[in-house]
Amino acid sequence: MIRSAAATPPLWTWRKFCSGRNGVMAVPVDVIPRRPTLLFIVVLSLLFVLMSLSSRTRYVGETRTMFERTVMTIFSPVPKTVNWIGRTASDMYHGYLDMRRAVNENLALHRKVIELTTENLKLRQSETDLNRLRGLLGYSEELSMPTSMAQAVMLDTSGRFKSIIIDRGSASGIQVNDAIVNASGLIGRVVLTTRDMAKVQLITDANSSVGVLIERTRRQGVLRGDGAGGAQLYDIPSLADVQPGDTVLTAGIDGIYPKGIPVGTITRAEKGQDLFKNISVKPSVDFGTIEEVIILHTRKIPGAVLRYTP
Amino acid sequence: MRWLRFAIGLLIALTLHSLLDSFYPNALAFFNPYVILAVYYAMGGNLVGAIFAGIAAGLVQDAYSGAIFGLHAFSLTVVAYAVAYINSRLVLRGALVFGACLFGAVIVHELVIFVLVNILLKQRIEMFEQGMIVKAIFTSLFGMLVYQLLTLFLREEPVEAARRPAY
Repeated sequence: MIRSAAATPPLWTWRKFCSGRNGVMAVPVDVIPRRPTLLFIVVLSLLFVLMSLSSRTRYVGETRTMFERTVMTIFSPVPKTVNWIGRTASDMYHGYLDMRRAVNENLALHRKVIELTTENLKLRQSETDLNRLRGLLGYSEELSMPTSMAQAVMLDTSGRFKSIIIDRGSASGIQVNDAIVNASGLIGRVVLTTRDMAKVQLITDANSSVGVLIERTRRQGVLRGDGAGGAQLYDIPSLADVQPGDTVLTAGIDGIYPKGIPVGTITRAEKGQDLFKNISVKPSVDFGTIEEVIILHTRKIPGAVLRYTP
Repeated sequence: MRWLRFAIGLLIALTLHSLLDSFYPNALAFFNPYVILAVYYAMGGNLVGAIFAGIAAGLVQDAYSGAIFGLHAFSLTVVAYAVAYINSRLVLRGALVFGACLFGAVIVHELVIFVLVNILLKQRIEMFEQGMIVKAIFTSLFGMLVYQLLTLFLREEPVEAARRPAY
């Protein structure tokens, strides 16, 4: 469909704006009005008097003449309305801006709370680690032999053979039969080393044996793991004084573990079928929570000494 | 009817004045809506009406501008009378002519104020020439826009609407 431009002339054109009906024409002489010169002069004179009065009142401290106040009063609704509208619009705009700002601030604070909560959790974890490591360090300083520290990287306490893997190996000077302890007590001994890892047999392993003594009576025996998370104390005669709650320490007679390391607590002591008692020991270490360990570089008994028979 | 339109125009000018004062306190140094109103009315060619239009518009401006009361009234009366006088002799049509009229009117308005302030207050207006030119340009441009809008939407021709023999 073709629209005809001529049918509907445009309301405004630049050409129409600049020319066409615009311009200057002389008015016919018969319609020229007479000049109200007298009125004009009178009005100007009155206005001049008004101005003079106004300028004089300003000098004597009066800022508004009565006439001025009257005009202001008549027209005062206009500025008041404008002011009210402006203030309302401004309040609404600023209210909206404040609301937007509050929403953004709220979101930012929300994010901050999440960040701080995460940071707080990390710090709490660090504090726990620090306290644990401080305890471990204090304990290792009490020991009168060379020690080093390692981190447990793998823990296998589920099967019959109980062991952990630590993150230090022969490169750190760890040897087979080094004793492993933590602040709670004896953990086990190193049974295998690689350059940067080592395997530790726990005292609860069924193949583990530790020379121990009962702290209260100094009665010596052998502690073997039961493969189920606990240990049994063997070679304690039936007549020996053993009571549940007695503390068991390493005896230092097996050539592996130094003397005096806490091993566990006797939980059950019964008369056995033969000459020895059946004694159950609960290890002092909670193997499920091992993180850092201390490696005791104990002095090994030379093989020749071990093998010599007089 | 024409006076009613003038009254509405005066209210609009005052509203604009109040608005500008609220948001841009120095805006009236660059642009004067009362001059536009007075000149628009005066272009009808009615000399007596122009005198009263100038007085009314000027007094309202004086009341809300903090100047000596009557200063703008005096000046606007002179301007409105001059424009009306010219329009009684010549038919002036179109936005461009209106803009030119406004430009001249602002110059005269500012000059009259300058002289009166000098006489009554013995003061000089700082940067008078620059202020006058800027005000004349902005007022003319805004006035042309207003004229064009009125012509387009109200179909009003200020010259023809009021042209009639004086007596």
